[in-house]
Amino acid sequence: MTLPRWLAPSLFALALAAAAWRAPFPAAPAFVPPPPAVTDPAPSYFSSALLPTAAPSAHAAALAELADRRIAAAWFAGTREGAADVAVWYSTLGAAGWTAPRAIATREGTAAATLAYARKVGNPVLYTEGKRLHLWFVSVALGGWAGSSLNHAVSGDGGASWSPPTRLQTSPFLNISTLGRAPPVALADGGLGLPVYHEFIAKQGEWLRLAPDGTILDKVRMVQERRALQPAVAVFDERRAIAILRDAGPGPGRIRAATSDDGGQHWPVATALPLPNPNSSVALLRLQSGRLLIAGNGTGNRNQLLLWMSEDMGQTWRLAQTVESDPDDSAEFSYPALLQARDGRIHLAYTWRRQGIKHAAFSEAWLTGDAR
Amino acid sequence: MNATALYGWLAHGVVIGALVSLLPLGGKRRFLGMAAVPLAWFSGLATLLHGFVGTPSVTLLALAIWQIAGRGPSPLGQRPAWLVIGTAAVLYPLALGLGSFDPYAIGYQPWPLLLAIGTLAVALLRCRREDWLLILSAGLAGYAGGLFANLWDALLDPLLVLAALAVGAGQLLRQRTAS
Repeated sequence: MTLPRWLAPSLFALALAAAAWRAPFPAAPAFVPPPPAVTDPAPSYFSSALLPTAAPSAHAAALAELADRRIAAAWFAGTREGAADVAVWYSTLGAAGWTAPRAIATREGTAAATLAYARKVGNPVLYTEGKRLHLWFVSVALGGWAGSSLNHAVSGDGGASWSPPTRLQTSPFLNISTLGRAPPVALADGGLGLPVYHEFIAKQGEWLRLAPDGTILDKVRMVQERRALQPAVAVFDERRAIAILRDAGPGPGRIRAATSDDGGQHWPVATALPLPNPNSSVALLRLQSGRLLIAGNGTGNRNQLLLWMSEDMGQTWRLAQTVESDPDDSAEFSYPALLQARDGRIHLAYTWRRQGIKHAAFSEAWLTGDAR
Repeated sequence: MNATALYGWLAHGVVIGALVSLLPLGGKRRFLGMAAVPLAWFSGLATLLHGFVGTPSVTLLALAIWQIAGRGPSPLGQRPAWLVIGTAAVLYPLALGLGSFDPYAIGYQPWPLLLAIGTLAVALLRCRREDWLLILSAGLAGYAGGLFANLWDALLDPLLVLAALAVGAGQLLRQRTAS
């Protein structure tokens, strides 16, 4: 059977018009500016405790404050990192303390929902948007973490139940090597800017611009002079933000930085911060007072967990507190996550000796050494 | 499960069916190719392939359907194969982090890509390649229907590149044998 000559060009014109109609044409991106700076009147305090154990090996905590003001934590745990029984676990902090951890993402559940084989899961990221709680996590079908794909699920009831995860398409080659670690920031158009990273062949930070419905609108590279990973972002105003990144070597590193002056459309190279980084994850938070807070490891290995503060939008930094320190070089206090709740309390969660997740809560007065 | 995951799983079943129909199985090739499709879906083979290579492009699906249907020689001839290989040779290394420019990002707001495809369509029309016009139309319709967030994924995928490499290698081998 021969098709009439006009059919193929007509169908093509129709399909091209439909594709052009669907193609997004978004306005220039802008951040939701942070509220005006306020001083935290709370006195100096600090408390810390281990979260309930989910499995022998735990790593990579994430934090979020829920709509009802409970603090939520997610992390991955199993018999060992990358094992088949590793799942993303979830717990909330209420008046009665931390709830028993519950698996919210498993490799079996991810494979069933995405209809794609998953060998392991990891690196959760939590973010509260109104009454919705977002969860991003990675799954790997083949190889190590460099083969990760990013998945997304949403909860409308504070993490009690979750939508089946969907896989984000972020790479043309086997959809590999996009990982998340730090929470997104809100954009003025109702979307989100999600800092992610790529570690197959090249190691670099990336920025996903998401539409309000979660569709990817753009993907931008945070190009650095050295290999850098795991960006964490703090916003200054509608246009300006800073990202700090893990220095992936070679050799002794310093926390890398990139800044954007156009709502996240570009992240040109910035100089490294004068803060050590032994190739380990860092967390960044803009406090309600306007100060910036970084959590990360000191020189040497991951046996020290430190907090640094900046009063001048990241121009200068000073050591504020030492949270953990062990002379044993093999001890590990790593992968911090930071959050300031609406009541002003600052929360820190981190990997504690790979055996569990530790949570610390403190005031800004404790950070500044102010004995109010 | 969303529509993209369902499409990927179904399409991989068809791709596996097409691969089976390429095997030297005599007159039963087409039948066995068709029979392999549901087998791939329900044996987990399509899920496995979907996990490893991601969502297949509409281009690959259309070629796989063409192959199983046995509608004559595949549209993936030498010139289209070299175009696919050339595009992949530029796209993949850059998208995987070689340099600061990521051409894959263009596919999220694909206006330049649509312009290039429109230009390619004019050339295809002049060469009377209605088969490829229909295949490109299917890819564009897949993107317009929301199956793909990125237009590149509707048009190109690693399995398609592998198929193109097989066609290109076959051509080179024949040329070498003839000379």
